[in-house]
Amino acid sequence: MNGRLRAVLRGLLEYVAPPAIAFAVVIGFWEAYIAWRDISILVVPAPSDIWERFSDEPGFFWREGWWTLYEATLGLALGSAVAIVLAVVMAHSRLAERALFPLAIVIKVTPLVAIAPVLIIAIGFGTTPKIIVAALLCFFPMLVNTMTGFRDVNPGALDFMRSLRASPWSVFWKLRVPGSLPYVFSALRITYPLALIGAVVAEWFTGDRGLGFVVYSAWLNLQTPKLFAAVAVLALIGVGINIALSLIERRVLFWHESVRSTR
Amino acid sequence: MATDTHHVSLRGLSHIFTDGRAPLHVLDGVSVDVPCGQFTSVIGPSGCGKSTLLRIVGGLLEPSSGAVRVNGGRPRDAQRRHEIGFVFQDPALLPWRTVAGNVRLPLEIDGLRRRAADVDSLLDLVGLREFRDYYPHQLSGGMQQRVALARALAVDPGLLLMDEPFGALDEITRESMRYELLRIRACQAESAAGKTVIFVTHSITEAIVMSDRVVVVTGRPGRVTADVDIELPRPRTQEIERSTPFLDYADHLRGLLVGAAA
Repeated sequence: MNGRLRAVLRGLLEYVAPPAIAFAVVIGFWEAYIAWRDISILVVPAPSDIWERFSDEPGFFWREGWWTLYEATLGLALGSAVAIVLAVVMAHSRLAERALFPLAIVIKVTPLVAIAPVLIIAIGFGTTPKIIVAALLCFFPMLVNTMTGFRDVNPGALDFMRSLRASPWSVFWKLRVPGSLPYVFSALRITYPLALIGAVVAEWFTGDRGLGFVVYSAWLNLQTPKLFAAVAVLALIGVGINIALSLIERRVLFWHESVRSTR
Repeated sequence: MATDTHHVSLRGLSHIFTDGRAPLHVLDGVSVDVPCGQFTSVIGPSGCGKSTLLRIVGGLLEPSSGAVRVNGGRPRDAQRRHEIGFVFQDPALLPWRTVAGNVRLPLEIDGLRRRAADVDSLLDLVGLREFRDYYPHQLSGGMQQRVALARALAVDPGLLLMDEPFGALDEITRESMRYELLRIRACQAESAAGKTVIFVTHSITEAIVMSDRVVVVTGRPGRVTADVDIELPRPRTQEIERSTPFLDYADHLRGLLVGAAA
């Protein structure tokens, strides 16, 4: 056995085995408890029932999941774009910050479930309300993090740029934008799952597709295994997003302490 | 360039910081002239306003009163012509750029291409050619500071302003950096007149070893309390630190600084 193979096996043993065992234990207890107390499948299905329902038509679940992910991603893009543009304006003008920040806080503190029906009345059905609900949820964390990132500039580097009469444009692109990337990434770790929540909630109210709609209609018809299978797919999508973000972060932020310390 | 023979000229410079709770008077009536090509150290205890003085010369701060002339004009004009190179105690490199990328930074500002020195020859000068593709976090503190020096030299400024550049380094690195800086300055002097350097420090040894002249600033608010010409032959090497004239200068300066503190 060569060294490289041994390293891979070692990695599997050290990093993959512990969480796999933890999951297996939880699922095992769940399965055993349901069998022991003879709990009805209509109340809580056993993992095996959920798996059976999922494997009946995996294509259906993945397809609905794809819709939800699609809406969440567009919402994330819209919410982040608006937040970043506003952060640029607010980082350069205290007046703009005083005027706009209270507005942003109103958006943040208004409960999403109250906004969703309002939007449906205003916009109607289809993909748009889902994107907008997802965007609203992403907006505030991205705004606050990006603003902090733009302001967190090494004072020495800023002085150096100023000593050469660098334009605000140069300072922005060469200093503030790269320096804010760690903050943008930590915002994405919060906002992408939020966008998923936003899309799912919007699908409850306006759905004709997407996992939120699957959950809702399964609940109405007491199809508990279907409901749980949809939730499990949502969880898997969440895990996938997290892994993807980590991989991108490692490439983009190779220079930052947060990435270097995990090497 | 300057019709003035003085590269930097300060007249009755005073500064009061008013953004804190109570106004802070840091400099009072400072008048200094620095001729072209002179290596001048400004020495004084912490809080005497010597960093503030340097920021005013470099155009990063407007003085509350008094006149500043750099090449006969305002510091902002000197900034615009890229005649000022700054090195701070914190190297303040951009962590996402390589060594070469950091040195290139001032050349990219606003499409500045004129007087653009070749990055590789700058790296040769500071002895970091083979580290050109490394990132700052892979370098030691002394190497990072050498990158900061190369970055400051990239626009070929006539005036180099150094604010305790070796203050954060360990004693051994610090000692070698003194002579390294002298060597780099001498290398550059071959092609043109040596750069004017204003060097802020609180190390007596550092001030004597490197300078043509030491300006002592003490008190709160800081005033110029002594102005000592250092007449030691160049090039200077480590041996100078054991010579009698060096020790005499050191005693003299120590007396001035201790006297001011008492």
